[in-house]
Amino acid sequence: MKRYETRGLRLILREIGYFLANALGSIFSWEFVTVFVPLLLIWELLPRSGAVPKSLVPPLSTVAVTFWEMLTQKHLPTHIGHSMGKFFLGLGAAVITAIPIGILMGWNMAVRKRVLPLFQLLAPVPPPAWVPITIILFGVGLPMQTFLIFIGAFYPILFNTYQAIKDTEPRYLASARVFGASELTLILHVYIWHAIGSIIMSVKTGVAMGLVMLVIAEMYGGRTGLGYVLVEAKDFFQIPVMVVCMTVLGVIGWFLIEILKFVEIKLSVWKIGR
Amino acid sequence: MIEAKGITKFFSIVNEDRTAAGLTAVLSVSLKIGDGRIVSILGPSGCGKSTFLEILAGLQAPTEGEVYIDGVRVLEPLPSTRREMEDYRRRYQFLSPLANGLFRDRPKHDIAMIFQDYAVFPWMTALQNVTFALKLRGVARAEREERALPFLKAAGLGDSLDKYPSQLSGGMRQRLALARALAVEPKIILMDEPFAAVDTITRERLQDDLLKLWEATGITMVLVTHDTDEAIYLSDEVVIFSPPPGEVRNVFQVESLRPRRRNDPEHLDLKRRIDALFKYDIDHESEYSI
Repeated sequence: MKRYETRGLRLILREIGYFLANALGSIFSWEFVTVFVPLLLIWELLPRSGAVPKSLVPPLSTVAVTFWEMLTQKHLPTHIGHSMGKFFLGLGAAVITAIPIGILMGWNMAVRKRVLPLFQLLAPVPPPAWVPITIILFGVGLPMQTFLIFIGAFYPILFNTYQAIKDTEPRYLASARVFGASELTLILHVYIWHAIGSIIMSVKTGVAMGLVMLVIAEMYGGRTGLGYVLVEAKDFFQIPVMVVCMTVLGVIGWFLIEILKFVEIKLSVWKIGR
Repeated sequence: MIEAKGITKFFSIVNEDRTAAGLTAVLSVSLKIGDGRIVSILGPSGCGKSTFLEILAGLQAPTEGEVYIDGVRVLEPLPSTRREMEDYRRRYQFLSPLANGLFRDRPKHDIAMIFQDYAVFPWMTALQNVTFALKLRGVARAEREERALPFLKAAGLGDSLDKYPSQLSGGMRQRLALARALAVEPKIILMDEPFAAVDTITRERLQDDLLKLWEATGITMVLVTHDTDEAIYLSDEVVIFSPPPGEVRNVFQVESLRPRRRNDPEHLDLKRRIDALFKYDIDHESEYSI
């Protein structure tokens, strides 16, 4: 029993190691460092030398100090936590609803004909256009923010999943059908696997749109979260704080995309020969 | 026993200038394929032989005609009148006529089919491909692996059980497809140019493997091919399809005893006759393309 546990733990640690090597590999590659470090130096030196006004473009060191202050004294971790909580609620709701609906629409003509036109009419509404009515319906707070993130992430996931499922190679379906596959088996063992790359790609798009809507939602309502800190910083003209928030959002987005890339590699081992 | 009665398949097409056009892929084909026989369907490309095979398998509905496998009707033909069409639409509005049912895996007929490409599922390992087919035939989970292994070993895949198709060579992939088809122990195997994508040496080995398996099991085999040598070497009966629209041009019986030799003079003679037939068809193609 004990041995099993350590083996499981070791396996998890190894996977995390692979993930970090994969994710950080591109950033800490020698080729990129030769570009990245000079850029950081320019960022530091231009405001310091007075070429650009320091009050408008804070140098890197100021931003780093501000980041540390926010981290230790101004509850930045709490804000990040709140933002991520809302984000994952919204994104999770979008994934849980959009993927099954997309699969059903791609699988069955009857479902498609009844449901697809509705989404085609609703989808072109730009997600930020939902903000006013959402505030009136849900009030300012968690439900409204979650809903806005959901709206942002839902359509890209839905349409890409639908398209990928619809484009499943008919000969795979045919050979499974001749063996006797029921429709449920076809969905679980053929359609989904054939479309897995596109589905994960659609979730990546969903993450990007979800982050956009997260910031918008927090700017309009709420007293926590990165978007709120951003707006507050604008009111007090704290440019370093804004830069910190933007950087944190960027890193979060990058990190989530890297996680999805890793999941994709894990789920589509079969695509990579040898 | 497979019985095809007057199978016709007509596709309607919309041209670029939005005028309607039609294409007859298969024209009034009647065939009887007895139990335990190997029958090849041979013809130039585009003559509707693959379409015909899919109609036999119940993957496409014929425009006209009926197919029976052991006396059971395969797929009803597509509707031809407006009233029939409405009826058909209503009946199949939620589920395609090809579907086996929503939740329960159950084959309509005791057949297996092998496609040229897309033969095996690339997202399953060799072993999973076979056990998946067994699962669809209602074999209990505990027995699946046990039943799959002998077929995989016979196909020379004993060492590659956990490999994905992308890690196998073309010949091994086709052998895997064959092993999967045989593992479900069907009465009939339908093959759509199964060996077209592999090199000559591999192809000849696969053909010999196929014959060995056939001798051991006595499965009825229907093989679509454009390779005259392959058709003669493998089959009891060679059905020649004419250039489009695909009609049965001739049926040749190959009576030489098994095991056969590849360069049997009898075979060469037959090959000469078949090739002459194709040449004639190609020279007089204008007669067909009305």
